[in-house]
Amino acid sequence: MGVFILRKLGAALIVVFLASVVVFVGVRAIPGDPALALAAEDRDPEVLAAIREKYGLDDPLPVQYVRWAGLALQGDLGTDNRGIPVSETIVTRIPLTLELAGLALLIGTVLGISAGVIAAVRRGKASDYAATSVALLGLSVPHFWLGLMMIIVFAVNLGWLPAGGYVSFREDPVGNLEHMVMPAIVLGAGLSAVLMRQMRSAMLDSLGADYVRTARAKGLSEWSVVGKHALRNSLITIVTVIGLQLGALISGAVITEQIFGIAGFGRLTVDSIAQRDYPLIQGVVLVVAVGYVVVNLFVDLTYSVINPRIRVSGGASK
Amino acid sequence: MKRIGTHRARSALAVLGVVAIGLLATGAGGSLAAEKKAGGTLTIGLAEDPDALDPTLARTFVGRMVFLHMCEKLYDLNAKLEIVPQLAAAMPALSGDKKRMTIKLRRGVRFNDGTPFNAQAVKISLDRHRTLSGSARASEISPVTSVNVVNNYTVRLNLNARYSPLTAQLADRAGMIMSPKQLDALGSKFASNPVCVGPFKFTSRTAGDRIVLDKSQFYYARNKVKLNRIIFRIITDTSARAANLRSHDIQVEDRIASTDLPAIQRDKTLRVLKATSIGYQGLSINIGNKNGIGKPFENVGTPLAAKRSLRQAFELSLDRKVINRVVFGGTNLPGCLPIPPASPYFDKRIKCPGRNLPKARSMIRASGVSTPVHVRLMIGTDQVQARLGQVIQSMARDAGFQVDLQPTEFVTALRRQDQGNYDAFAIGWSGRVDPDGNIYQFVHSKGSLNNLGWSSPRMDLLLDNARKAATPQARRTLYDAAYRVLRTELPLIYLWYPVNRHGVMKSVKGVRLYGDGLIRAYFAEYK
Amino acid sequence: MSYVEASPLGARARRRRIMRRRFLRRPAAVISLVIVVGAVLAAIFARWVAPYSPDQTDFDAILAGPSREHLLGTDELGRDTLSRIIWGARASIQAGFLATVLAMAVAVPIGLIGGYYRGWLDTVIARVTDVLLAFPFLILAVGLAAILGPSLLNATLALGIAAIPPLIRIARGETLALREEDYVRAAVANGANDAVIIGRHILPNMTSTLLVQATLTIPAAIIGEAVLSFLGLGVQPPTPSWGVMLNAAQPYLNEAPSLAIYPGLAIVIVALAFNLLGDGLRDVLDPKTER
Repeated sequence: MGVFILRKLGAALIVVFLASVVVFVGVRAIPGDPALALAAEDRDPEVLAAIREKYGLDDPLPVQYVRWAGLALQGDLGTDNRGIPVSETIVTRIPLTLELAGLALLIGTVLGISAGVIAAVRRGKASDYAATSVALLGLSVPHFWLGLMMIIVFAVNLGWLPAGGYVSFREDPVGNLEHMVMPAIVLGAGLSAVLMRQMRSAMLDSLGADYVRTARAKGLSEWSVVGKHALRNSLITIVTVIGLQLGALISGAVITEQIFGIAGFGRLTVDSIAQRDYPLIQGVVLVVAVGYVVVNLFVDLTYSVINPRIRVSGGASK
Repeated sequence: MKRIGTHRARSALAVLGVVAIGLLATGAGGSLAAEKKAGGTLTIGLAEDPDALDPTLARTFVGRMVFLHMCEKLYDLNAKLEIVPQLAAAMPALSGDKKRMTIKLRRGVRFNDGTPFNAQAVKISLDRHRTLSGSARASEISPVTSVNVVNNYTVRLNLNARYSPLTAQLADRAGMIMSPKQLDALGSKFASNPVCVGPFKFTSRTAGDRIVLDKSQFYYARNKVKLNRIIFRIITDTSARAANLRSHDIQVEDRIASTDLPAIQRDKTLRVLKATSIGYQGLSINIGNKNGIGKPFENVGTPLAAKRSLRQAFELSLDRKVINRVVFGGTNLPGCLPIPPASPYFDKRIKCPGRNLPKARSMIRASGVSTPVHVRLMIGTDQVQARLGQVIQSMARDAGFQVDLQPTEFVTALRRQDQGNYDAFAIGWSGRVDPDGNIYQFVHSKGSLNNLGWSSPRMDLLLDNARKAATPQARRTLYDAAYRVLRTELPLIYLWYPVNRHGVMKSVKGVRLYGDGLIRAYFAEYK
Repeated sequence: MSYVEASPLGARARRRRIMRRRFLRRPAAVISLVIVVGAVLAAIFARWVAPYSPDQTDFDAILAGPSREHLLGTDELGRDTLSRIIWGARASIQAGFLATVLAMAVAVPIGLIGGYYRGWLDTVIARVTDVLLAFPFLILAVGLAAILGPSLLNATLALGIAAIPPLIRIARGETLALREEDYVRAAVANGANDAVIIGRHILPNMTSTLLVQATLTIPAAIIGEAVLSFLGLGVQPPTPSWGVMLNAAQPYLNEAPSLAIYPGLAIVIVALAFNLLGDGLRDVLDPKTER
């Protein structure tokens, strides 16, 4: 087990390193004088030259990379164009996105799993068709449009929920949830659609399996059959699917935060690039890549714990 | 089977854990969130995130709004846009040759860290504005060669040439005085914790989210300050900002978009503060910027650059009133000069031309350039700019122009403008009280922001004389002549003056808006 | 997974007839095929199908409601909404198809090679896939737009690149399974070279799975294009695309919500049609299905 973890970690570290290089080079590839980004209305060439020297923007690339990577490893991601430490911005804004993603994950898994189970158990009946259709819709609706529609209906017309913004949980728990309901639903909808379909097909497979027939033959209650046996085995699929959907969740968080005006981390990724704030872009995208790798690592490890066959074969197949 | 059972429990716990951590952490991240209105906190929704909160380096319009509340200046503007003393005790005294300016300072003033405000502090700040590498203020007060401390409450600025706009510049960021103690401690990192003289002091800032200011206990007019705390929340999306105002999550909204205005006007709990800006918006034509800003001019050869008549034809194909109606719902003020009607230097005799398609078409024919005449128009990336670009495109097409739109992100657009990599650019200027501040740097041959690559000896003469002229009447005559040159040559096609509208909850009084467009809430209070 | 022998024409034709019958028995699949074909044709022949040109403005009739002249009303510049939706189909469907083709063209060979040869080549491919996966498609798209400038082409590129990793996995998985099949082992034992084995035995038997995957990738790419154009990273105005229309509609949610409703519905209908078609194809091509 130890060797396995080490191997996985090693792979993850390589990926992180490669990702950091890609981020660094990618940011430098963006056309535009970074010195200009630090100078909004005034563009005196002497001023720009001074800025360039101050930030070492003229040094060779590998030197700049090593300098940046070295500091990053110590947790210092530099200061952005406004003089605010990048790590401070990231640390303050990540919790909002975590809450949004967490709630979306919760809604998505609860909705997706229950809908999938119902559809599988009542296969061919009305509830199956209903659930399947809704799931199909969930896959076909661009969730930012769903967000816009929900704002029109629930905020503008009915006035039940706020049109956007954010209040922290500690300040106002009810307000916080009020602000988070629509964004979380919008973000979790896509996940629930994918999960529902996977869950349904995985459950159908298990329900047809021999051991289930045996359990039924033995006279066990329907709940015991469905709940304990079929459900458990389908959870492997669930974990896999969630792992694969995490990227979509991050992308989705960006738009959801944009539409609902939540100053979260997802928004930060897009805004920093739009503002050509190089130190901020680097720090933010690096954190995204690292975070993604870490979560995938976690999912991999969880997966291997359930399925020892993976561990033995060396984890090459997924 | 057992492993799978524990796995299900584990994955459920994991999900709950994530949510719990998220909820707890949001508490940590949100401890600076808006308090309820009780206790005197005012939340203002800003349209953009300011850049560095360092008066020497700052360049954004919204930054000036934040500074108004925490960083006083030697002079300020009043409601009539006249210059009045703020940290200075009186208007400045000029020597006979106008090359020495003496300023007496207000007494009994302390910075927000308790240290005393005096002439030495003023000298340190002014020297920093003049000489700090990367200073955005240097060109604003470039004729100032040195600053002397005459006594504890008097400074003298020495100039190398007459410069009438100087007092106006000292009524903006170039006149902001910073605490020497804090400058000593933080140096170039002053923006991370700025300390000045002000009704409020800087408490904290989260990039892209909010800036928090608290009431200062050192301010010399403390009794006029009623609020305990001001929070500037950055809400760039216009409909989100309006929605927040309507839900009272913010009490003041910076710049209401025309599409949100009807709903806010219908709302009985809100009122709208309106002021026509002292700046302008229009189209900047690249005429001679072939080699980059600061380099010698050379005509770029595009149709609009080559022939003045084509620029005039382009202007005649546009209908300013329709642009205002369709793009802005009629909320701005169409115009064709670099300074607004409210300015004493405005020339009422100049009438803006309406749309004249036949004349435009005949001018194109006469020019000999084959139709369609190509124009590449660089615009911004937001929805308003998209509407503007498409309206201009559609109107110009009727005369025989083919306008290709190039939506470009702002910083990149500025770079391209400097490099001369554009045909026309839809951009404006936030405006300065003195007319020189709206004209000189763009169309003078030595103008620091002349990225049009256009100048003329006559224009240079007019503007230089206007800077040195002794009386406002003399200046007016000179600027009138300058406007006529601009109207004929059209290096810039001025299209409208923005009318700034800010939304305020009726329960808040004392929020003011002057022609400079900046929200002033420092003496505001809840009724 | 279907398996087809290199057998005389008769058996193949018979299989096709069976599949066609199965397909026609599914109303959902048939309807979705009709919608898909209709959308594609409308996009190709937009000039003749749309009543107006997409950039024909009418400043005296902005934000008008539905009328005889304008069946779906006009937008914020007085342009006919129905025409813009038809013309907008071009950008969306183009992006959808091109991104999918690009992704397939790259992912299938890579997945094949990795799954067939295994060993260190496979590991390298797995790591590269991981790095690609570490960047969510939106970040990729934003980055590409920042570097190369926003355009439909760059958006398509970003979408294509983002679609590659899952497709690699599927191609690889199929290859892994197929190479264990008896007829493949027989071919290896007979001494056939790799190219022949891959070309004649493995690839043809993957096509139905790949076809289904393609049909399911297209709607994701269409929605992705809408997202990118909505953020200003894809199609630029005045070129219509459903995402661009949604972006322009956002400030008008209060005063004229229909501006946002129609383009969104268009996306939903077309994406739904592709998804249903893909599902139908999967059922039809899977020999385990009863009907």
